[in-house]
Amino acid sequence: MIIEPHIPDPDAFYAAWVAAQEGLSEAQSADFNARLVLLLANQCGDQAVLLDCIAAARDSGG
Amino acid sequence: MERYAFAPPCKLPRWPFMPPPELGSDTVTRHPIVIAGAGPAGLTLACELAQRGVRAVLLDEDDTVGVRGASSRGICHAQKTLEIFDRLGLYARIADKGITWSFGRTFSGEQEVYSFNLQTDSVSVQPPFINLQQFYVEWFLVERILELGLVELRWKNRVAQVTPMDDGVRIEVETPAGRYTIDADHLVDATGAHSLIRTQLGLDAHASRSTDRWCISDVRFRKPLPTERWTWVDAPFNEGRGVWQHLMGDGVWRIDYQMPEDCDTAHISKPEVAGARLRAQLGPGVEFEFVWIGPYGYRDHLLDRFRHGRVLFVGDAAHVVSPFGARGGNSGIQDAANLGWKLALVAQGRAGDALLDTYDAERRPAAAQNLEVTRRSARFLAPRSAAEHTLRRAVIALASRYAFARGLVNTGRMSVANDYPTAPHLPQGGRSVQNLPLQWTDGTPTTLMQLLADGTQLLGLWFAPTRAQAAAAIDAAAALPLKIVAVGGDCGLPTLRPEAALSRHLGLTAPGALCLLRPDAYRAALLDEATPALLVAALRTALAQA
Repeated sequence: MIIEPHIPDPDAFYAAWVAAQEGLSEAQSADFNARLVLLLANQCGDQAVLLDCIAAARDSGG
Repeated sequence: MERYAFAPPCKLPRWPFMPPPELGSDTVTRHPIVIAGAGPAGLTLACELAQRGVRAVLLDEDDTVGVRGASSRGICHAQKTLEIFDRLGLYARIADKGITWSFGRTFSGEQEVYSFNLQTDSVSVQPPFINLQQFYVEWFLVERILELGLVELRWKNRVAQVTPMDDGVRIEVETPAGRYTIDADHLVDATGAHSLIRTQLGLDAHASRSTDRWCISDVRFRKPLPTERWTWVDAPFNEGRGVWQHLMGDGVWRIDYQMPEDCDTAHISKPEVAGARLRAQLGPGVEFEFVWIGPYGYRDHLLDRFRHGRVLFVGDAAHVVSPFGARGGNSGIQDAANLGWKLALVAQGRAGDALLDTYDAERRPAAAQNLEVTRRSARFLAPRSAAEHTLRRAVIALASRYAFARGLVNTGRMSVANDYPTAPHLPQGGRSVQNLPLQWTDGTPTTLMQLLADGTQLLGLWFAPTRAQAAAAIDAAAALPLKIVAVGGDCGLPTLRPEAALSRHLGLTAPGALCLLRPDAYRAALLDEATPALLVAALRTALAQA
């Protein structure tokens, strides 16, 4: 799992991510984010990295 | 209100109770092999032994086939199972009576999200699947066993008590004419999910039950549909729940409906309730008649070990999984094929007791894998929370647009011949080999299953050995259960044409390579440069003699 900065333009990515949720209800937003995770997971395509990411996301919660 | 018709019950054969010779005798007869339970696993094992010329006694509490009349449990018979039936001489009857298919479609709502064609990966003479009611398969197995002789089928003989002994098992049997006692060198428990033998021996199978409820409707109707496996993740005609639809023998469709969790099973299986469901699915004007309606819930269990001394567990007695992908009946039949040749060699004194331990070493991991696979399908089909529904909606939404997401739609992963893990007797692990069509050098057709059909020995398929190597190997393995067949070359042995499909499937990449194939059509070893000494060593390893 890559933990060093790897997104070329983080602010632009974040802005696009936020913009994509505009006008969505909470449920629609959850659906959108789930679809996004699947699309990104397929880009990664590395089972061990995917499982590491799931664990890291889970551990980073409040 | 619409009235729903039922087909007359299917007429099943009955076999007579014959008082066994031990009844009323004080001497306890000893049998080499006793099998309890004439379901698919027990019957396949009996047929395996009969085919190999090994005597056995098969005890069954009933006097017919099937469970609960015309209801069928297993319907989908996978390629590996069909290849076993081919080797045992009953494939033609099953192919003739059953429905051959290889194509499946999965729908969400009205939309198709996923389809698969299992034929594309097949090099076998047998198709990926044939659907046939379980009672027909049992029926054909019984008739084949009667034809072969050697196995004594004892109907209306129920195992009442088993007592393990150091060198065997004492079995008390109850019959309509009274009780009797026999001893067995080995007892095979094939009595199914509710095995009393298992309970009596105090073996925990770690059973769990789910709150999922399903209702099967076996029906005949006049509406032309393709002979494909259709599944709905969320069918509009079933209140957004799952539906399975499959054709089997006699023009009967099996339609399996997912019902609300923990619902009233008596209510959902009433003819008028089941009829209304079917009417919603088929539309108005399609005539249909019910063959059977039955509600059920999933359960699963897995024994820690499939061998306990002289008692071996096969099929549902050892493991039960939910029905996704037809992994129940098929794995029971494949248990029997795994155990059959091993029990035969041990009973004939041609292999040692350790070979029977390999049954557990191979089939328990297979069952554990089937349990994991079916649990994952069950979880996909019955999301347990709003969050799980969200994840599943994401998969389905993407699946109709992007190929990658189709792999995540899980309405059951069809039964496969499980690979076996590496073990001392399987240094390279075990992989099933398909029933390839072959030709001898003179053009006579044959198949891998035909090469394995007679006797009980491993098959060494040797890519163009020299004459000297072949002669030396025959000498070295003279006392061992081995048959050598050459693939190409001119070594004086029976020789197959070196076709590319055969070499590729077996992994015979260069002259001198040898594939050691077991009687159950699993590859025991692949030798890149075989010599007589290496071949004998590999054979001893595969027989757990090393």
